[in-house]
Amino acid sequence: MRPCHILFIFLLLLIFIDAGLYLHARRLGQDLKDDQALQAIAVAGLGLTDLCVATEARYTRHPSVSDPMAPFMDHPGAIEHFPTGSFWNAPTNRATP
Amino acid sequence: MTMIPKGLEKQFNILDFSLSSLWRRKLKNLGIMLVFALVIFLLGSFQMLTGALTNSAEAVLGNTPEITIQKMSAGRQEAIPLVYIEKLRSIYGIRAIIPRVWGYYFDESNLANFTIMAMEPDSMPDSVKLNLTLTHGHFPKNTEAGAAVIGRSVQDILGLGKRNIFSLFRPDLSLKSFNKVGLFSQQTDLLTNDLIVMNLEDARDLFAIPASMVTDLCVYVTNPTEIETIAKKIAVLLPDTRVLTKKQIQKTYQVVFSWRSGFASICLLTALVAFAILAWDKASGLSPDEKREIGILKILGWETGDILAVRFWESTVVSALAFIIGCTAAYFHVAFFDASLLKPVMVGWSVIHPSFKLLPSVTLADLLLIFTFSVLPYLGATVIPAWRCSTVPPDSVIR
Repeated sequence: MRPCHILFIFLLLLIFIDAGLYLHARRLGQDLKDDQALQAIAVAGLGLTDLCVATEARYTRHPSVSDPMAPFMDHPGAIEHFPTGSFWNAPTNRATP
Repeated sequence: MTMIPKGLEKQFNILDFSLSSLWRRKLKNLGIMLVFALVIFLLGSFQMLTGALTNSAEAVLGNTPEITIQKMSAGRQEAIPLVYIEKLRSIYGIRAIIPRVWGYYFDESNLANFTIMAMEPDSMPDSVKLNLTLTHGHFPKNTEAGAAVIGRSVQDILGLGKRNIFSLFRPDLSLKSFNKVGLFSQQTDLLTNDLIVMNLEDARDLFAIPASMVTDLCVYVTNPTEIETIAKKIAVLLPDTRVLTKKQIQKTYQVVFSWRSGFASICLLTALVAFAILAWDKASGLSPDEKREIGILKILGWETGDILAVRFWESTVVSALAFIIGCTAAYFHVAFFDASLLKPVMVGWSVIHPSFKLLPSVTLADLLLIFTFSVLPYLGATVIPAWRCSTVPPDSVIR
């Protein structure tokens, strides 16, 4: 067997796996639609504003309603020390409209 | 036998030669491909995870309060007096103003942060359907003192099991008992995992907030196109407040996960620089063996174009395979393994670890971005030195 045939077979295998993942993504998308319908009810009924991903600091638990300056507000010269503070980008300027 | 055009047959032959050449130095080439795939895996995982969270936020945060009013004092948010509601009565177009008490409860024995939320659910939109978000039970009524609905992680961390009674400390360290009357469904974990929902009186009692104060006010307007106008009027009427609109809240999640965040930029730039050094090292110094090989090929009659084609196919095979393997592994990592390598940084010191059920975000734009940042520089970095070498007289390199 020529080396390029082995390469093509390997590429076909990868394409086959990726096609399987594409089908998985479509099915997961359908499942998530049901979840998201319930989540939308919770958001409306409880007035939620944020995703519950990180709960260690208020500015990463509720980034959309907490002070953008919160990481440095604890005392003058305070530095940010929560790990999630480095993962989450600072929200854009939220000046009153 | 099928007929293959002559030009294509030549390229197949060159590809065969390239693959044999790669296989001769398999340890080195597999190593490069592995590093390459790892960089792409990291970039891809980050992009798929943050994209999935951004998409989820966009899908479910459509019904956040239209306007949220927070009182500010000395640059910090503080409780807002209920009398502010009266001041807003003069603004035409406001449909409802709903006071909320909410905040954080730090459970010292488990080091977990819970979110306490209290309002009059009956006055909120979609309140009649709210019980659908529970696996069992109901939301506490205004008259139902000491009743609470809790998220699944709260149940686990408090170790409630089949018990329904739990206690939380007031600021003066006296205990307040609650009766669990409902448990949020697993399907809403992404929003409700750390929530404890109770009625206003209980929350005020727990946080020792006076009856005349609340945490913030949710404002709903009659005509959604007037949200911005009404928000401006509120800001003028209540100058000591911060007025957040639904649009601003939704916009937060469009930018909160991005390449600009500290972790992402440092980690990914480091990976890219490491890879660039590797590619440059490989590219800038063709080994004497490789130079000799090029010289011999030229003596045997190979043209410069053919030698470049060999190098091009070698680089293409290594980088394209690394790209496909890296992206595929990134999907597996996010979809099947809960993005377990990135999650520790993302949740930090949080004790509550939500189980993500996320659809990895795979967009053509992201794939092209990763491709452009990784595969193209590699191709350039390997083909150009080969061209430099193949243009020198062959006898000078094989001697």
